[in-house]
Amino acid sequence: MGRCHVLIWLRRTFGSSIGSKALMACTGLVLIGFLFAHLGGNLLLFADADGAAFDAYATALEHSPLLPLAEAGLALLFCAHIVLGVRVQRANREARETAYRVRRTHGARTPGSRTMVATGLVILLFLVAHLYDFRLCRPEGDSLALIVRERLASPSGLVLYGAGVLALGLHLTHALRSALHTLGLHHPRYEALVDRASFLLGFVLGLAFLSFPLVFFLGGAA
Amino acid sequence: MSPTADRRLDGRCPSGEMASRWTRHKFDLDLINPANRRRFHIVVVGTGLAGASAAASLAEMGYRVSALCIQDSPRRAHSIAAQGGINAAKAYRNDGDSVHRLFYDTVKGGDFRARESNVHRLAEVSNQIIDQCVALGVPFAREYGGTLANRSFGGAQVARTFYARGQTGQQLLLGAYGALMRQVHAGRVTLLPRREMVELVQVGGVARGIIARNLISGEYERHAADAVLLCTGGYGNVFRLSTNAQASNVTASWRCHRRGAFFANPCYTQIHPTCIPVSGDHQSKLTLMSESLRNDGRVWVPSLAGDERPPSDIPEGERDYYLERRYPSFGNLVPRDVASRAAKRVCDDGFGVGATGTAVYLDFADAIGRDSRAAVEGRYGNLFQMYEMITGEDPYRVPMRIFPAVHYTMGGLWVDYNLQTTIPGLFALGEANFSDHGANRLGASALMQGLADGTFVIPATITAHLAGRTVEPVGPDAPAFGEAEAAARERDERILSVRGGSTVSTLHRELGLCLWNQVGMSRTEQGLREAIGRVRDLRERFWNDVRVPGEANHLNPSLEHAGRLADFLEFAELLATDALQREESCGGHFREEHQTGEGEALRNDEAFCHVAAWEHDEGGAVRHEEPLSFEEVHLVTRSYK
Amino acid sequence: MGASPTTLRLTLHVWRQASRDLPGAFEVHHLEGISVDMSFLEMLDVLNEGLTSQGREPFCFDHDCREGICGMCSLVINGQVHGPDQEITTCQLHMRHFADGDTIVVEPFRARALPVVRDLVVDRSAFDRIIAEGGYISTDAGSAPEGNALPISTAAADEAMDAAACIGCAGCVAACPNASAMLFTAAKVSHLAQLPQGEPERERRVLAMVERMDREGFGGCTNERECQAACPKGISVAHIARLNREFLRSSVLGRS
Ligand SMILES: Cc1cc2nc3c(=O)[nH]c(=O)nc-3n(C[C@H](O)[C@H](O)[C@H](O)COP(=O)(O)OP(=O)(O)OC[C@H]3O[C@@H](n4cnc5c(N)ncnc54)[C@H](O)[C@@H]3O)c2cc1C
Ligand code: HEM
Ligand code: FES
Repeated sequence: MGRCHVLIWLRRTFGSSIGSKALMACTGLVLIGFLFAHLGGNLLLFADADGAAFDAYATALEHSPLLPLAEAGLALLFCAHIVLGVRVQRANREARETAYRVRRTHGARTPGSRTMVATGLVILLFLVAHLYDFRLCRPEGDSLALIVRERLASPSGLVLYGAGVLALGLHLTHALRSALHTLGLHHPRYEALVDRASFLLGFVLGLAFLSFPLVFFLGGAA
Repeated sequence: MSPTADRRLDGRCPSGEMASRWTRHKFDLDLINPANRRRFHIVVVGTGLAGASAAASLAEMGYRVSALCIQDSPRRAHSIAAQGGINAAKAYRNDGDSVHRLFYDTVKGGDFRARESNVHRLAEVSNQIIDQCVALGVPFAREYGGTLANRSFGGAQVARTFYARGQTGQQLLLGAYGALMRQVHAGRVTLLPRREMVELVQVGGVARGIIARNLISGEYERHAADAVLLCTGGYGNVFRLSTNAQASNVTASWRCHRRGAFFANPCYTQIHPTCIPVSGDHQSKLTLMSESLRNDGRVWVPSLAGDERPPSDIPEGERDYYLERRYPSFGNLVPRDVASRAAKRVCDDGFGVGATGTAVYLDFADAIGRDSRAAVEGRYGNLFQMYEMITGEDPYRVPMRIFPAVHYTMGGLWVDYNLQTTIPGLFALGEANFSDHGANRLGASALMQGLADGTFVIPATITAHLAGRTVEPVGPDAPAFGEAEAAARERDERILSVRGGSTVSTLHRELGLCLWNQVGMSRTEQGLREAIGRVRDLRERFWNDVRVPGEANHLNPSLEHAGRLADFLEFAELLATDALQREESCGGHFREEHQTGEGEALRNDEAFCHVAAWEHDEGGAVRHEEPLSFEEVHLVTRSYK
Repeated sequence: MGASPTTLRLTLHVWRQASRDLPGAFEVHHLEGISVDMSFLEMLDVLNEGLTSQGREPFCFDHDCREGICGMCSLVINGQVHGPDQEITTCQLHMRHFADGDTIVVEPFRARALPVVRDLVVDRSAFDRIIAEGGYISTDAGSAPEGNALPISTAAADEAMDAAACIGCAGCVAACPNASAMLFTAAKVSHLAQLPQGEPERERRVLAMVERMDREGFGGCTNERECQAACPKGISVAHIARLNREFLRSSVLGRS
């Protein structure tokens, strides 16, 4: 009994194709939760013209004793999701050694489902740049809101953040329905509903995040 | 050729009260201690309902089993294609059914050409079969209360047919396959898919193994055993076009027949009246459509021979509803064989429709007009869809075209009550034997027989056989294996070495056409004699002019087909000869010389109330007779007046 | 008859591969006079007859029942498993779905776990091994209770039947972008999980079958649903969700 048993169980469960997908689904769903929180905070950028509300929120966050914990958790979630995603993807690719000469879908794939890995990787790159911009390379003491606005008002900001959040939106159109299915939550009665909700989630979150670079770029240009 | 009584044709049927024969017989059979059973190795050829259930049941008892099949998985045996259902005498519907009634119906349906003892046993174990299948998870149709549902099938007056949508054979086979795979997992069954049995091996007159060709590598493998079970299905493909799967063949049975197993009643073949007709020379298979279609469809042909107008342009007055005209009381619902022969007759006379002129219309216009399209769709929606998929025509608007097709073969290797052939140690189960259906099989009874033979009969009888004999162990190095392997190898080499100009398919098509026309649903002495001559010619052509590309040492479907055709070409002569010798009409065998004024089959119980069992002889097959006696069900003539 | 022709001229690109270990390639063949009433396999028969007459080797392809139930036939036709039509097998596909002058690319099912045996024939024995791990109910002959002893609702029987309709053709694997065998495995797990007879082995069954499925080298499920769309029997991905549920429940809450 004991540790050895637990390890075997962990391996058997989460090393399996279904188990590792379930972990991806869980981490993905929590990340979606995080996205909503993140969006809520970001919306404060629109609250006033000088960014005071957002800065107050940012300062509060930075001084919260829970921040390191939350950051570590987030990092862990991302890492887990990404590592699993890459592993799953590699295994799936290896499962077909010879490619078909002609490949035509039977019509079930969606733009989101086809591009999960690609969008995931774009999100990853975006994430690194994003952290670099606002977390690692931020001049001490400046107003974060100002920095964000400046960054997003630049053409490179528009391109980077635009691409990142579009990829995110696309990723999410498949993510919700896929995650629910992976966790075994499926009922024919709600299938169409969940599909639509998943698409809507990607669309709405994508647009919502896209609004920041768009508004600041256009605003800055004007 | 005078009939000879032969002591090898002892049916070994128990005597005494019919209802307790099987029970008493089981008690009289010898047993083997469970621990000792693993000393015995049994080769099961075929994994249809009969083979899969036999292999699983024997392994469950503790025997070591090897199971072979031609397909890449045991789950694909031809049994998978059965649609309608499986009979049992459960009497769940409170409609007066009983074991005795199922027994009675089967004997009568078989036109009094089956053994009563066998049929009674079949009816008896039918109930256990349903229980076993339910336990294996077969998703039979259910009533709202959760109990098993039944339907009435093939004109039966009671509802005793159990079914799983239109896929009963599939579900039963998958159940048996599951049981088999469980034994594979337990290490008691060795699974040998993509193998074809090409020779039987005998030592001291006893079946002690087989030679099988590994269809992928082309190797000839030796499988030594203590007993061999043939569960290799029917021979309908001797007609080339039938409702059978492409790989269905007579090879395993024929190889055994050539080595001494008697072949019984080869002329009993069943033709199904409602199949989708041939659309051209390319045709490879005929698809069965449920007979229930005749409940609402009206059969007709144009009154004018050779009329090529589309059916909608033929006015009512110029249509011949020939079944309604000839059989006013039964009309479109005359029995299978009558409907089939009538269709053939109008087509032979030039009234047939469709591109090939070998079809009759089955028209639903009246039913649609009377009951609405929705009602017809509710009843036959799936069948109409299938028809449209195959023919590209919409049967709601254009009448269906139908034609009869070969469907099932009642003849097979002769077996006694214990399912043993005339070769000790060689048993035949399922459609491969001749035992239970006489001259005609009732709908939904073949599945029942396959499972009865494999699940309940053979475990008892083979145990007694193995317990009651002492034979020395035989390994694959025995000289008999070398001889049989060499024979198999030499045969294939001979086929490959011809390198002539006719493809296997061409020759098979010609054989099929010849049999269909002259040894099909309506036979005459002259036609049969001609057919025998044609078959001999074709056989000669085969050996002088067949072209089989490739070699024997790799996957070579042409070679497989050629080997099967070579055996069909020998078997076809026996089939025609048996039909020639049986000077009567009974069940699936109709001789035009023997019919009533109304065209009904005329049996001759004086001279032919027996099983014809043929012994192979290079100089010409020898006919033996096993007399049939009827103690419970009295001989009567069929009548549908 | 209108404009549609009754015979077709076709250009075929067909995969030729002598054995598992040898490399394969496409061969080009031209056919004429193909009747629109032929099934796809009958069209291949014609091709093979022609090759045989010319003294060349015909193409090997799997088939048996030719009516869509045995699951023996396969083929990827112009990039689509079992061809362009919905809910049918290759043997049920008819040539009237093609146009005069069409080019048709015929490939074997491709997946690491379904290696090519020869030409268009693949080895699907992995499916048998998955079933052998537990795709059955362990009841010996003779020990069954009376058939009506266990009432089963029509809903359960119907849904079990929906899943049990799988013909094991491996089209799901061939159509899946990941060559996953989830739909096949799910169909059997789901069939048995919905019946009371399947209850005693429910946990063991799903764990063992999934473990074997993974070991055979199939990919995992990313919920693309191509399997369902390609399945000749229209088996729903709802069964995959049930498999996931059964697996997670048995893993996390199971007694074993
Ligand atoms: C379209 C259709 C519908 C039917 N519907 C019904 C129905 O509704 N109800 C009913 O009761 N019956 C029905 N039948 C009849 C019934 O399906 C068959 O009679 C029955 O399934 C035969 O079972 P079997 O086990 O004897 O043989 P099969 O299922 O034919 O199995 C034969 C096995 O033997 C193997 N084999 C053959 N030759 C060799 C060889 N040389 N070497 C190695 N292996 C070999 C094959 O691979 C296969 O595994 C129907 C038949 C058809 C054609
Ligand atoms: C905020 C960011 C992200 C969120 C909210 C998110 C969410 C999700 C969700 C819910 C799923 C479905 C899981 C399942 O079906 O089991 C998923 C799948 C996946 N994600 Fe992410 N993800 C994010 C970022 C990333 C990143 C950075 C990668 C980097 C590689 C990535 C790669 C993948 C892959 C490969 C899949 C599997 C594809 C599939 O199952 O179809 N994701 N994601
Ligand atoms: S050949 Fe049987 S399903 Fe196609």
